[in-house]
Amino acid sequence: MPLTALRKLRTKFDWPLFGAIVAIVAIALVNLYSATRVAPKGLYQNQLMWFAVGTVIFIVTAASDYRFFERLAYAVYGVGLVLLIAVLIGGKTVKGSSRWLGFGPFGVQPSELAKIVVIIALAKLFSGDPLDLALRPWRYLMSALLIMGVPMLLIMKQPDLGTALILYLIATTILMVVSLQLHVKLLTLGAEFLFGTVFFLFKLHGYQKKRLLTFIDPSLDPSGAGWHARQAIFAVGSGKWTGKGWLKGTQNQLQFLPEHWTDFPFAVFAEEWGFIGCTILIGCYLFLILWALNLAAEARDRFAETLCVGCAALLFWHVFFNIGMVAGILPVVGVTLPLISYGGSSLLTVMVTLGLIMNVSIRRYSY
Amino acid sequence: MTSRSRLTPRAKGTHAPPRRFAWAQVAVGCAFFLLIGRLYQLQVMSGDYYLRKSADNFVKELELPATRGQIRDAKGRVLVDNRPAYNVYITPRFFNTDSFTKLKKYLALTDEQATALEVRIASKRGLDRFRQFLAFEDITRDQLAVLESEKNDVPGVAVQAVAHRNYPHGALAAHMLGYMNQITPEELSDKRQKADALNYHLGDYVGRAGLERQWESFLRGKDGVERIVVDAKGQRKDGAEREALDTFYLGGPQRSEAEPGNDLVTSIDLELQKKVETALSKHKSGAAAVIDVETGRVLALASWPEPDPNILTGRLSHAQAEQLNTDPLRPMMDKTLRENYFPGSTFKVVPTIAALEDHLIDPDAIVRCSGGLRFGKRYFRCDKAHLSVNLNFALAESCNVYYFELGQTLGLDRMARVANDLGLGAPTGVGLNSEVPGLVPTSDYYKRIAGGFQKGVVLNTAIGQGDTKVTVLQLAMAYAAIANGGKLWVPQIVERVQTADGQVIQEFPPRLRRQLAASADMLQKVRAALYDAVNHPPPHEGTSFRARVPGLDVAGKTGTAQTGKFHKEGEEGDENNSHSWFASFAPSKDPKIAVVVLIEHGGFGAKASTPTAMEIYQGYFDLQKGLSAGPAAAPEARRAARRAQ
Repeated sequence: MPLTALRKLRTKFDWPLFGAIVAIVAIALVNLYSATRVAPKGLYQNQLMWFAVGTVIFIVTAASDYRFFERLAYAVYGVGLVLLIAVLIGGKTVKGSSRWLGFGPFGVQPSELAKIVVIIALAKLFSGDPLDLALRPWRYLMSALLIMGVPMLLIMKQPDLGTALILYLIATTILMVVSLQLHVKLLTLGAEFLFGTVFFLFKLHGYQKKRLLTFIDPSLDPSGAGWHARQAIFAVGSGKWTGKGWLKGTQNQLQFLPEHWTDFPFAVFAEEWGFIGCTILIGCYLFLILWALNLAAEARDRFAETLCVGCAALLFWHVFFNIGMVAGILPVVGVTLPLISYGGSSLLTVMVTLGLIMNVSIRRYSY
Repeated sequence: MTSRSRLTPRAKGTHAPPRRFAWAQVAVGCAFFLLIGRLYQLQVMSGDYYLRKSADNFVKELELPATRGQIRDAKGRVLVDNRPAYNVYITPRFFNTDSFTKLKKYLALTDEQATALEVRIASKRGLDRFRQFLAFEDITRDQLAVLESEKNDVPGVAVQAVAHRNYPHGALAAHMLGYMNQITPEELSDKRQKADALNYHLGDYVGRAGLERQWESFLRGKDGVERIVVDAKGQRKDGAEREALDTFYLGGPQRSEAEPGNDLVTSIDLELQKKVETALSKHKSGAAAVIDVETGRVLALASWPEPDPNILTGRLSHAQAEQLNTDPLRPMMDKTLRENYFPGSTFKVVPTIAALEDHLIDPDAIVRCSGGLRFGKRYFRCDKAHLSVNLNFALAESCNVYYFELGQTLGLDRMARVANDLGLGAPTGVGLNSEVPGLVPTSDYYKRIAGGFQKGVVLNTAIGQGDTKVTVLQLAMAYAAIANGGKLWVPQIVERVQTADGQVIQEFPPRLRRQLAASADMLQKVRAALYDAVNHPPPHEGTSFRARVPGLDVAGKTGTAQTGKFHKEGEEGDENNSHSWFASFAPSKDPKIAVVVLIEHGGFGAKASTPTAMEIYQGYFDLQKGLSAGPAAAPEARRAARRAQ
């Protein structure tokens, strides 16, 4: 059996996917070294440790048959909800929002995990009979919105606007790509837009509103949120074609970039490696996401298909929002850049995501 | 892998590959194309702009202040220099309530100051919270000692030493030396256009009066600048890292050293200036000038009372400023240059010279004085009945009646011509403190003003009243010209400008304004009369005879300039009391210096001013003796002089 498994692995292993992941991880290690040079001591070592843990998780996720996740989908979803409720009750409060559950010296952010469990639950939901889906689209839709909505509200309660937004975008992307009728999709989008506007007006915290408004009109706050965003743009722009060189980015090394190892590592990378470096990195991500969508098209069942779409959506929205925010075309919300950003929970989530994609890939031909 | 049956197999072939995934891929491609496009715009199209912006972030220009030049006296003794001062800087980000309480205690801040500080700290936002600002200037030694010993317990507070202007002799020669204070933002925007070379920054001190102001461009020097690399907190790295950063981002240290300002060497004699001020300090308010008659250089120049420039330069409180500005003795007024006074009888040299020049009268002709003169409906007074006086004794005894008649003979314009020739009615050219020109009225003048010319004006003008106005320095230069045989000098205070290490940059030789029209012979007659004014015993007792000091060979004229509504002799300082003048030179046969003293509301000239002038002469000759005999032999020489008397 182990021998068969190994042979199977060699022939069915998705080398292009693996190559893209390794490339991004390599960039991440190089860039994070530079970004954490001026950060508190020990961050780089921490992250190396997380990479080690992440690799194990990746292997475990990729190796165990995804049908196992399918079976346990709702149970896993339930655990996710429990953790989210737990963090609201007993979470560590950092900068005014309680996002962390402490386990010894390490903290875990259940909101990161929530993205995965929502993807799995939605994949499970849409794995049913396609005829049923075509006949009763609204029932499925309502269930999907419920699956997305409950964790989203809990996350907003923390409050963690960035993660809630990403969760919403992932779920919506899945709804847009699964085989629902076009008018159902359009009506869903319209309803969500209406709801979002009402929510912005009545439910957002002052500072959250301010951030969004500052993005629209940066002069509202020249030294606060707007200042961070501007410094990030200086960093990116000053990289020019080839960058200032590794460890030589002034915006990074002289600490003009806020939180540059969590939310702004792309600014560090863009400053030190320039347009060419950025294009290569974005190319890697693009390949990864397109590859995941290919896998969705080739997946052998509906669960795997939706799972891949969800994972691709997670990667896409993280990359798009983070780079868009750094480049000043999207508001500053705390969204990490997969693999590149510092942080355990974020890294583990991405490792699980990639593991799931690999999982589907390995098993796509085995009928 | 047998549990497949439970799963819904995908309907392969019905929609393979499904179009919706391709659409999703197109959407992802477009989104990433948008990102790449944006990066192209930022990095390639505007890369240079953002590179500059990021350089502006971390390259800061550090000002290296130039040391301001010193002002020295003729013998090289320091009149003005610089001392270390300690300024308190606050970095709001690290400044907490505990720091605030402690700082308030250590610096003994008033509630007003504390509130102002709180407001300032609260006004700092964003990155400014990391930048230190100047909170308090020039704290005392005691405050420094406390802050230094407690500095680890007062986060956000730093003390830095800077050079501060220092006037080691306190108020001495305050008006002449001047003072400094900070440049205002308005001036800065103005000065940048006018005098870019001097390169002022906010917080810089500028000379505001006296030599400090007049010689600003020489004294100031040129600030250096160093371009340094700082981090987001505005801080510079230390040691090797600093060098590495400088080398990498700036291509090595970029530093242009400050050029120190130049020193002024003046003709002032510190010791003489002290003696002059000691003499003046016995009165409430006055002024004195001591001029070297052979060069026109100013040896001492004092206006009393005077403010301490150490207080004006820096920590001047509102209360102090208020007190200085409302003091009835006007300490802020430079009474040697900025104030016009009636010259009184000191002006009588003018009609005297005019009479001699134009040969309009016989100097030996006798005029009878009965104590006054009826002119039209008015009666013009003399101090007493001088009985019979000729020109010489008219000047020596200051007989008004003689000059009333002489004035009528001469007319206004002849007197004005001589007065102008002596330098009255125009600025002396010393260039200090915007000196006023005084006034010498002519008949034209009376045609212009309301009320017009009245005949009695001529009489009053001849005795230095009427509308004639002079300054103390003008009169001193005029008497110096009479003393030296007719050379009217431009008064000069600065002898030379030199670098900090003594290299002469520019020398200022004596500047002759003009040679008087009066001949040496005529001036000799005037000098003789001025000698009699001090030394002639009764009868024809000179006005200063009783105030003369045996052994001092002085020639000079008193003046009693009426200021009140009525002529009255009262306490010194009474505002109806006349100003007291003494204009003089010594030694009478071979004059070296001219001394003019004015005591405001001091009464008769001989009562207040003459003794003051005598004290100055005594001081001058003591210093001369001390100089020729050497400092150690000075007391011996003085004792010998006393035995000889």
